[in-house]
Amino acid sequence: MMDTSRSPSEASGFSRKLAATIIIVYMVVTLIPISWMVATSFKSVDSAISYPPEVFFEPSLEGYVNLFTNRSRQPKDYLDSLPPPDTWYEELVRSREMVITGPSKFLPRYSNSLIIGFGATFFSVFLGSLAAYALSRFKVPLKDDLLFFILSTRMFPPIAVAVPIFIMYRKLGLGDTHVGMIILYTVVNLSLSVWLLKGFMDEIPREYEEAAMIDGYSRMQAFFKVVLPQATTGIAATAIFCMIFSWNEYAFAVLLTQFNAQTAPPFIPTIIGEGGLDWPAIGAGTTLFLIPVMIFTVVLRKHLLRGITFGAVRK
Amino acid sequence: MKSAVKKFKGLSDKAIAWIFIAPTLILLLAINIYPLIYAIRMSFTNFYANKIGREVKFVGLKNYKKILGKEEIWEKMQITAHFVCWTLVIQALIGLGLALLLNKKFKGNELLTTLIVLPMMLSPAVVGVFWTYLYNPQVGLFNYVVNFFYDFGIFDMIGSSTLAPWSIVIVDTWMWTPFTMLICLAGLRSIPNYLYEAAEVDRASKWQQFIHITLPSVLPFLLLALLFRGIENFKMFDLVAELTSGGPGSATELASINLKREAFEKWKTGYSSAFAVILFVTIFGFGNVYVKVMNKIKDR
Repeated sequence: MMDTSRSPSEASGFSRKLAATIIIVYMVVTLIPISWMVATSFKSVDSAISYPPEVFFEPSLEGYVNLFTNRSRQPKDYLDSLPPPDTWYEELVRSREMVITGPSKFLPRYSNSLIIGFGATFFSVFLGSLAAYALSRFKVPLKDDLLFFILSTRMFPPIAVAVPIFIMYRKLGLGDTHVGMIILYTVVNLSLSVWLLKGFMDEIPREYEEAAMIDGYSRMQAFFKVVLPQATTGIAATAIFCMIFSWNEYAFAVLLTQFNAQTAPPFIPTIIGEGGLDWPAIGAGTTLFLIPVMIFTVVLRKHLLRGITFGAVRK
Repeated sequence: MKSAVKKFKGLSDKAIAWIFIAPTLILLLAINIYPLIYAIRMSFTNFYANKIGREVKFVGLKNYKKILGKEEIWEKMQITAHFVCWTLVIQALIGLGLALLLNKKFKGNELLTTLIVLPMMLSPAVVGVFWTYLYNPQVGLFNYVVNFFYDFGIFDMIGSSTLAPWSIVIVDTWMWTPFTMLICLAGLRSIPNYLYEAAEVDRASKWQQFIHITLPSVLPFLLLALLFRGIENFKMFDLVAELTSGGPGSATELASINLKREAFEKWKTGYSSAFAVILFVTIFGFGNVYVKVMNKIKDR
């Protein structure tokens, strides 16, 4: 503990090595649950429920096949009477004495997540950058109160506003629709996008637009042609944060969507096999669902801190 | 875009400011504030959202009195407090510890930070689902690893009412410790080196340097991290909904989970709206007091 007060530049070789070792151990332990889920997605159903848990196993694509298909169990003589399977996945399903009865709902749910995520991200970043620019550059009465108000909308427990939104959406016909969810996620993301983008725009020197305006640009032109291109990195980082939020959101999705606009998070827990949850299939769904977020996290790493604190902490 | 740009050319800065802010403001008012006011209004009635034809009566403060007088609600608040307090304490300690270690600049530092941060970016609901697998008493990896170090025999983290409150604390800690770590790390990196150099000149021990320089500088950052986590965990829904869904019985029925049951399973709209308002006021009140204390510490 005492060593911790050393300033980083003078940390001795030994204490640095010790710190690195502890951090690496923590990293390995913290990544085990995620790796385990990915590993499970490549197990067969039997191997996923064996004890002790199998670290080394024969890889199988059963989880992925089960994720994308609906199947039904058939008696052996019926299976024998069928023509030989055309595809590898049909063969795999037949070997479990089942036949494929059709595609599962995973793909529509996944694409719902994409559509709603991209839609909400686009609108929250677009509207957010307009508001952020105005709040960054102009004298707006009660500016601080306005900014606090925008932030405070994040303090509502989602369930608290879910009931009135549910009733409102039912009246407007927006319940269980893509449009309804895009509007909702846009609004939830707005507080983050305004706060983050205001921070990024504050960092762009005013001189750029002023110079452009002296050259004959109007304020609008200066905004679209000078400020927005300057803020590209900030806008991209904000967009990724909005996307991750919409992608991960569960409370509103589970309460307001059901058949038509349901996204992946409420769907994945419902993947059931015979006699209980189908762990390889859930693992496969989870893996496919988490991969985009992990890639985004790596892309975002420099702006992570800013994003998670609404711009309160900058590096 | 070009025609739009031309059309607005003559606009004053003030007009542009309002045109830019208006859409955001209108959306927030329509989808956030209006529902909140709606909820407050419903909280004074006996409205049931599933009984549409039924006459809605104004009942005054009855719902509020009922909630505040109910022992069950205080139990839920206790469960929530247990969850919030333990997650904050553990995450503060481990998060700060990791940040202090990461602050010793060793090779691969950035890469390790990014890898450690991964869990907190994942969907809490999906995380909840896959932890039910890790916690499975027969085949779960968690149970296997615990038994590997000390043989407890078969135990069920989610199914036992004494262990379940800890099962959600463990998962939340796994997921969100990096959050505290990242913010504390930013605090540590903001401490100028000359403070330590001056302390060396004054022959301050390492321990004294830690107490008088490192800790006070990082404290505001740590408090900020805990504010964010505190609010989030007070509202906690998604992770726990999928992990234990409030069970067994109501051992992990946090405030939000209880609210969901009342509002969307029993459809007691008026009653649950009152509870929602109470929760919101509690978060807002705590948050405000906390920020005041935090600012005082910062100024000192």
